[in-house]
This record gives sequence, C-alpha cells and structure tokens, in this order.
Amino acid sequence: MAKEQKAIRSLREKTLLEKMEPYFFLVPSLLVFALFLYYPFFHTVYLSMFLTNKFGKPKIFVAFTGDDNYLALFKDPSFWAGMWVTFKFVFFVAAGGLLIGLCTSLLTEKKYTGSGFAAAVYAMPVAIASAAASMAFKMILHPTNGLINHILGTQINFTGDKRYALASVVCMTVWLTSGINFIFISSGLRNVPQELYDSAAVDGAGYWRRVWSVTIPCISPTLFFQVIINVINGFQTFSQIKLLTEGGPGDATNVMVWSIYKDAFRNFRFGSAAARSVILFIIVLIITIIQFGYEKKGVNY
Amino acid sequence: MNVDKKRKLQHVLIFLLNVPLMLIILVPLFYTFSISVMPADEIYQNHLIPTSVNWINYIQAFTNPYYNFLRMIFNSFFVSIVVMLAQMVTCSLAAFAFSFLEFKGKHVLFLAVLATMMVPGEVTIVANYLTMTSWGLLDTYRALILPYMTSAMGIFLLRQYYLTFAKELYEAAKLDGCSNIRFLATIVTPLSRPALGALGAYEFLNTWNQYMWPLLVTNSKNYRTVQIGISMLYDIDAESLGLMMAGVIIVIVPSLSIFVFMNKQLINGLMAGAVKG
Repeated sequence: MAKEQKAIRSLREKTLLEKMEPYFFLVPSLLVFALFLYYPFFHTVYLSMFLTNKFGKPKIFVAFTGDDNYLALFKDPSFWAGMWVTFKFVFFVAAGGLLIGLCTSLLTEKKYTGSGFAAAVYAMPVAIASAAASMAFKMILHPTNGLINHILGTQINFTGDKRYALASVVCMTVWLTSGINFIFISSGLRNVPQELYDSAAVDGAGYWRRVWSVTIPCISPTLFFQVIINVINGFQTFSQIKLLTEGGPGDATNVMVWSIYKDAFRNFRFGSAAARSVILFIIVLIITIIQFGYEKKGVNY
Repeated sequence: MNVDKKRKLQHVLIFLLNVPLMLIILVPLFYTFSISVMPADEIYQNHLIPTSVNWINYIQAFTNPYYNFLRMIFNSFFVSIVVMLAQMVTCSLAAFAFSFLEFKGKHVLFLAVLATMMVPGEVTIVANYLTMTSWGLLDTYRALILPYMTSAMGIFLLRQYYLTFAKELYEAAKLDGCSNIRFLATIVTPLSRPALGALGAYEFLNTWNQYMWPLLVTNSKNYRTVQIGISMLYDIDAESLGLMMAGVIIVIVPSLSIFVFMNKQLINGLMAGAVKG
C-alpha cells in the first residue's frame, strides 16, 4: 500500500532534476543561437551607432549626431543607387524565377514518356552551389572565349559593361533559382483538385482557359509564397556579385550584401557596414510581415 | 488504335516543348564539362566541343600541390559532415523537448527559436566575423563549424515529425521506467529516419555549397573550402580557364550525387528550409 502510494506520488511530483531536464535538451541549440544569432544581432545594432577602428572596435559614439552612420548613408547617392539596383535585381529575379518555374511545372504536370527526366532536369539547379555556378557563368559570359559571344558572334564584355552587367547577373541567378521555383510550383500544381479540371473540361474550356481560370487561381498561395522566397533570397545575393562583377561597373550591380561586404572588408568601416545590415534586416522583416499578413487572410481562391 | 496514336503524338509534341527549357538548364553544365576536358589551344579557338578529350586539368587539380585541391575537398567534406551530424543531434534534442516535454517558458522559447528564421545570415555575418576574430579562431575548422551547429529549420522539421507520434508511446515508455534520453535515442530516432534524412541531406548540401562565410573566416590554403578554392583559381591565373572549369565540375559532382541518390530527402529538406535565412 505504502509502496503504491509512493509510486503514484513519484509520478505526480517531479524532482528538481526532472524539472530542469527539458532545459538540458535545449541547451546545445540555445547556446549556438545565443552566440551566433542573438548576440551578433544586437552587436550589429550596437556597432551601427559607432565609428569603429579597422579591427571593428567601436571608437566614437555617433548615433543622432552629424556623423550618424545611417544619416551618412542616406546622404550618400551611391547608397540610393545601390538600393535602386537591389530592388531592380530582386524584382527581375523574382519575376523571372516565377515565370520559368511556372512554365517548367506546367510542362511536366501530366505524365508522359520523358516527363520524369524533364522534371529531374528542371529541379537540378537546386543542388548547384552559387559559387560554382558563378564560375561556370564567368566562362559562358567570357568576353573573348565565352559561349554567348561565340553564338552571337560578338565580343561583348557582359560583366564589365554597365549596360549588360545587371542583366547578366539576373539571368545567372534566375538559372540558379529555377530549380527551387520548379519544385515548389509543381508541388502546388499536384494539389489542384482534378474535379475542377474535369468540370472545366465539361464546360468546354480550352487548355489556356483552364490554366488561367483554374490552375492559376488554385495555386495562387503557392505562387505568392514562391515570390516571397525569391524576394528574400534575392536580397541576400552575394556570391554571383562577388565573383562576376564585384558590384560594378560603377554601382551597376552594387546590391546590398555586396555593399555590406565592401564596407566591412575593403574599407574597414564596420559601423557603416552594421548600419547597412540593420537596413537589410528591416527590409526583410517588412517582407516577412507582409507574408504573414497575406497568409492569415489567405490569398484569393 | 487511332486514339492511341494520337495520344502518343501529343506526348511527343509536349516533350518537344520541353527541349528549349531543358537546354537552358543543361547547356551551361555540358559547356563547363566540355571546356574542362578541352585542350588549351582549342579553348582559345572558341571550340564548343573538344576534338579530343584531355583530362590534364583534372590531373593538375588533384596532383599539383600548388592548387591543393585534395586538401580543400577534404576540408569541405569534413566541415559538411560535422555540421550535418551536429545538427542531427542538437535539433533532435531541442525538438524532443518542444514536442514531448512540458516545462515553463516552452512557448516563449519556441518563439525565440522561430524568431531566428527572420534574421538573414548576411545581417549578422559581420558581427560573427568580429566574434571569431576576437576569439582568435580565424583559419580553423571551429570557425567554419560552430555557427552552424544548430538550425531553427532543423528543430522545426523534427518537431513537426515528432508531433505525429502517439502520446501513448511516450507514456508507456515512461511507465516502464525509460528515461527521456533513452526514449529519444532508442525509440524516437529510429522512427524518424525520414525526417533526419531530409535534414541531413539538406544541411550537408547547404554547408558544402557555402561561400560567403568560409570566404571571410579562412585565409590559408589549409582551411579553405573547395568553393573558395575554385573561385580563387581565376585570381591566381585567369588564363587557365580549363582548370577553372575542371574545378567547377569537381565541386558539382558531390552536390549532384546527393541530388540523384537522396533526391526525396533533399527535396523534403528544401521544402522545409526554403524560408530559412
């Protein structure tokens, strides 16, 4: 009897060690987050208020003074040029990725001989590193020996000419991100109920009519989600810029992450780089909030 | 019979529609390979396909100690495997607490984990670099590995999977006197192989493909990863285009192997991790 009671009690009441146990499970992850996410996040915000020495040590507090890092950026025409370039880059990468994703998904929607192979090809770029792809495109876009110039019979310096530099990096990025666009959009297509197609067919709707009035509205949440992914990834682009154009010529491909890198590791202005990082964070945060807002409402069916 | 033929013809036509798009994806890869096995003089004569296959660039990459490719490949493999295994452990532990255990602050802590997904890695990268400098860890494996030992995406992915397990399973094990850690190791983990596979394939590939962070924290050839290595070939010798392309093929092969042999796991991981910063 007493033994039984004890057993029941031990089931109900936890010892201190048992109470602490769940936290032990979380310690490894939370420690990593604390050291490499929470701390550097606040460190970035803190640094953005200072002028630093070239080792990144904060020296002079400048927030809200004439030398404020943010104010200096807002007064710098090159910052706004970079911002405009970033938005153009993100827009074309998001739209291009969506378009190629939609085309490839629609083409492999039905099963036929070779559709599996085509689907594998379309998904493949997800496995390829941005650095490796950049090097491959460096060759493809090579001014004298590259594939594109060979086909066109020209000698255009695609990455060094400010008329072509941004377009070149956009095309390369769309190629690189076509895989993820394909994977998400085609998984969205698989969830469209077959009955909707059947009833559209009964009503005598042709293929394009069905795509326009059944498929697109049904997968609009997927498309919206995919645009958000493209936009967020677009804002984070670095490798292509570093390896193909170094932000140039002039400010032609000076996207945000490149300018953070340049400020910190070429000019050793860590305070200004931190301020740029905070601005990047705020932009991505706004996009995320927009996404949550739409997800709650549910994109129109 | 006639209907069958018509359908077949239709299928062939649809496949033909795929051809231009497939070419857009495949030609850059074929071209890269073609340049990598092309004799040097043919590259400068703008050949597209080599008249004879020449493996000299691959032999150079692997045997010339100046390029040190073997070491860089080892570095990339080592770092990717350690990051992958570490995440499997740390994410399993955290996901277990968030799904099976009850404790004070569970909700807040889970939100704190999810919040990390809102911060793109590029935002904190300068500060992380400064942390590594102040710890004197530049040019070490630790610098490459430590920041990626866990991920919110991994915790979230495994937690979602654990939540599908019946609560009774846990309660029965507890009544039998099974400790939490033993329950996780001997019952939960073997049952969650699909989720662990997705996390593993995704994180291995992610780490293998990293560029910006290794670029910042490694300087010496001894710790450089292979992605940095191939991209530096251009700075060393812009003329050796063939060698550069051989380097690209060498780093793409492991990535594509994962894509081919662990396709399902990789895609599941990607779908879970797409919004990760």
